[in-house]
Amino acid sequence: MATEIKLPRLGQGMEAGTIVRWLKSEGEQVEKGEPLYELDTDKVTQEVEADASGVLLKIAVSEGEVPVGRTIAVIGEEGEQVSAPEAETEVDGAVTEADEQPQEEGSRAPARDEDRARGKQASTNGSEQVTEIKTPEPARADGRVRASPLARRIARERGIDLGSLRGTGPEGRIVAEDVDRAATAPAVVTVADRTGEVERVPLTSLRKTIARRMTEAWQAPAFQISMSADMTRAVELRSRLVERVKEGGARPSYNDILIKVCAAALMRHRDVNARFADDAVELLPSADIGIAVAVPNGLIVPVVRACEVKPIEQIAVEARELVTRTREGKLRQEDLEGGSFTISNLGMYGVEQFTAVLNPPQAAILAVGALDERAVVENGQVAIRPTMTMTLTCDHRSLDGATASEFLRTVKDFLEEPGLAL
Amino acid sequence: MAKVEKRGALSEDTLRDFFREMLLIRRFEEKVEERFRAGELPGFLHVAIGQEAVAVGVCRALEEGDVIASTHRAHGHTLAKGTHPNELMAELYGKLEGCSHGYGGSMHLYDVERGNMGANAVVGGGLPAVTGAALAFKLRDEPRVAVAFFGDGATNIGTVHESLNLAQLWRVPALFVCEDNGWAESTPASQQLPIEDLSKRAEAYGMRAVTVDGQDVEEVHRATIEALAHAREGHGPVFLHVRTYRLTGHYVGDPQVYRPKDELPRLRETEDPITKLRDRLGFADEEFEQMDREAHELVEASVEFAKAGTDPKPEDALKNLYA
Amino acid sequence: MPELSYREAVRDALSRAMRQDENVFIMGEDIAEMGGSMGVTQGMLDEFGPERVRNTPISEMALVGTAIGAAMQGMRPVAEVMYEDFLTLAAEQIVNQAAKHRYMSGGQLKVPLTVRTQGGAGWSPGAQHAQQLEAWFAHIPGLKVVFASTPTDVRGLLWSAIYDDNPVIFFEHRTLYGLKEDVPDELEPIELGKARVHRQGNDVTVVAIGRLVHEALGAAEQAEAAGISVEVIDPRTLLPLDEQAIVDSVKKTNRCVVAHEAVTRMGFGAEIAAVVQHEAFDYLDAPIERVGAKFTPLPFAPVMEEYVVPHAADVLAAIKQTVARGD
Repeated sequence: MATEIKLPRLGQGMEAGTIVRWLKSEGEQVEKGEPLYELDTDKVTQEVEADASGVLLKIAVSEGEVPVGRTIAVIGEEGEQVSAPEAETEVDGAVTEADEQPQEEGSRAPARDEDRARGKQASTNGSEQVTEIKTPEPARADGRVRASPLARRIARERGIDLGSLRGTGPEGRIVAEDVDRAATAPAVVTVADRTGEVERVPLTSLRKTIARRMTEAWQAPAFQISMSADMTRAVELRSRLVERVKEGGARPSYNDILIKVCAAALMRHRDVNARFADDAVELLPSADIGIAVAVPNGLIVPVVRACEVKPIEQIAVEARELVTRTREGKLRQEDLEGGSFTISNLGMYGVEQFTAVLNPPQAAILAVGALDERAVVENGQVAIRPTMTMTLTCDHRSLDGATASEFLRTVKDFLEEPGLAL
Repeated sequence: MAKVEKRGALSEDTLRDFFREMLLIRRFEEKVEERFRAGELPGFLHVAIGQEAVAVGVCRALEEGDVIASTHRAHGHTLAKGTHPNELMAELYGKLEGCSHGYGGSMHLYDVERGNMGANAVVGGGLPAVTGAALAFKLRDEPRVAVAFFGDGATNIGTVHESLNLAQLWRVPALFVCEDNGWAESTPASQQLPIEDLSKRAEAYGMRAVTVDGQDVEEVHRATIEALAHAREGHGPVFLHVRTYRLTGHYVGDPQVYRPKDELPRLRETEDPITKLRDRLGFADEEFEQMDREAHELVEASVEFAKAGTDPKPEDALKNLYA
Repeated sequence: MPELSYREAVRDALSRAMRQDENVFIMGEDIAEMGGSMGVTQGMLDEFGPERVRNTPISEMALVGTAIGAAMQGMRPVAEVMYEDFLTLAAEQIVNQAAKHRYMSGGQLKVPLTVRTQGGAGWSPGAQHAQQLEAWFAHIPGLKVVFASTPTDVRGLLWSAIYDDNPVIFFEHRTLYGLKEDVPDELEPIELGKARVHRQGNDVTVVAIGRLVHEALGAAEQAEAAGISVEVIDPRTLLPLDEQAIVDSVKKTNRCVVAHEAVTRMGFGAEIAAVVQHEAFDYLDAPIERVGAKFTPLPFAPVMEEYVVPHAADVLAAIKQTVARGD
């Protein structure tokens, strides 16, 4: 078997060499270790020995510059056929001649470059941890506001109270940018001269999370069903509940009643108290209901747990506490995790009806509009009833129209006749 | 493992054994050069071609419990002291199966179990520890000897002088083997040594010194046996001035522009220790070829073993720092 | 409770170790008949004999290197380098050899070596006999570095250094050798890597080493009179450093001063300041102040020497500086 003689890398940094002259001719016998050709490597001219014994069958490059690794000759047995290797006596455009290549001890061993890349990558991976987007908490229990020294100075100079700010720096720290933003936010919207410039509001980490989750939700095939409920009995229920509340206590709202009603309905329609999990629909044992709370620049959904066993009064207390903590930025990760169903209420803004986006992986979300006096038809007559429209958005991977409709019907029935929930 | 002390001539079988070992070292080092040129072996490599008889002659005279410390040119000593070529090649390839588990490389070969306390990349850096090891043996009354290998160039550095001085002062059981090949990298003896006979350096410290032909494995072996006995019997350290030849460059890839053109070919003709022993034993060609084939096989197998070895994980770099 | 000087405490630790363990021996220049240039090993030749109390020639490389070799063979030598300035001579063996044998061998070897040395200004020794070089060695992976400031600490820490299986550079301070203290009857080993809080306080944490521990304590007294409550911590081991103790303290006080006799620039205080800055960023109310020698070799004339070297007054000034700024 013929052996291809390639130009060896004789030192660190050597990329090419110039063959000066061959010491053996084609057809001559060569012994391994015998000087075969003279090579010039910019600093030095030296004899290079043959790597193999045999007949020098072919000289591929008779003279001139050759890159390291290129085949320059073939040694084999007399009479062996040799296909002419890509003999290029021209120097590749890629090989620059001007580079100084001093003869140095040692080699980087190009064959180990992959190893080096691996080591390098592992080294930086450890320090580029993507941190969880935490709920910002500007004040801590010990009363220290977490703010950078620069932020403090700016706040001090402008008379801004750090405690009122949300931080967007590392670990939720208040940084100079946060203070700047607070300083420039005017209380009154003035009609500025429109120069037509677009103001670019960079996404806060919260907005980024919301954007990501909403996009995720949009990928689920969803359908919506709407029903309106006669809230007469619910109104009565509420006033009686409010009467029983002590001074300063949490007054149950329609939302709290709705939470309880939905919890009861979810226990009757377990398919709706579910979440999609790739290859299964997980039916959850407890109605852990998330309530959508608006915060500046975003929406957060803390969860009230086990609503099916808690009385409305307790739900009211817990929901109020969660909303307060949400607005103060004091939520913990566990407050946000593991909900089975979500209720979103835009009634306070006067919205009659709207469609909420799913809160994946939950199977359904209920969008609730305003409680208004509306004209309805009863026994062929027009009557005025307090009415509320609800829209249920469902993940079609987990739920079908029939199941969803039955559930929503139950919710409506419970609202119209609370005793049915017992 | 009791070893019969050999007084007088070595048997043919023993010499054959030495020959095989020297040939293995030679083929191993040639393979190392080849693999380096192929770009597979990172870092520095210094091969011991031409100095095989010193490694084998000295190391084969040692007994169990004796320890060695070597230099940047450590492959020969390491193999002769008993490390398997697989583990040595794996270390050069930076694998976990290497004798230093990938942490040391060519100039930091350790095999503590086999009495190899480490090769040193700092010229003369290992000598004080050899004095120290010998001190420990003496304090604990153990019949063990510590052996340091170093070159003629090393006899210029402070650590060597301090070590010789202290070793002789305290009469510790040590052997200082000076492999005088006439070159300190590219600097010939004439440019770095003001004296010619390096044994005088040891005599300056009152140490017993012996000059030996390093290309004759029998002579090396005999001198080592005598020196070991001297040390073991509590008479103090011995300096072995071994005249040898570096039949290759300082490092793999060294074009040796500094070396007179005719020197290497001439030395390869006249001073190759393997050729000398081969002539002395009078092998038939087929017998030699058989031994050579076996040596090649062992070496090829070591490359395969190394290439199939386990790469350390990047985070392994953080281990083995503290005991 | 016997009263021991720092010097006697070192001797006590060495002697107890040598009495119970044949593997421990000491070597160094003039340590035998003379008992050491600082008198630390006085009497030990008589008790242990010349095989285990070994005078060496003036050969720092061989001195330390031989100890390395003996340690690699399982003994526990304690080598004395007379002045830490001369660590520079032995540095090749300490840095290239002792610190790296375990690592380079892939875990096959241990080097249970202790190198004792001392330094310290204040007696006109001149530039080559009074340096404080602990920062150099705290920079070398594979070494441990200890700098004790009291008799109790030096005794307990030297014991632990001898029985640590890694090379330990053990710094003593010349001007502390005469310092006396009541010590426990029995030697109580002190774990390496644990700091000691000498004095509790609420307004500022002073992290000090060596002689400056005592200067800091003096400054703290004066600060107290001025209504400033100062906490003084001595890390005792520089490598590994008890970061937790220091950071916890600064989290409490919100201000930090580091103090050492070594030159301020690139001194060990810079490492402490970096650690504190990173771990207690949100707790700092003022920049961290560093106290150390001015950036010159040590001058000879006493008036100049005192100018260069730090004192209690410098620590006090730093304390006041940190307290003056603040939210």
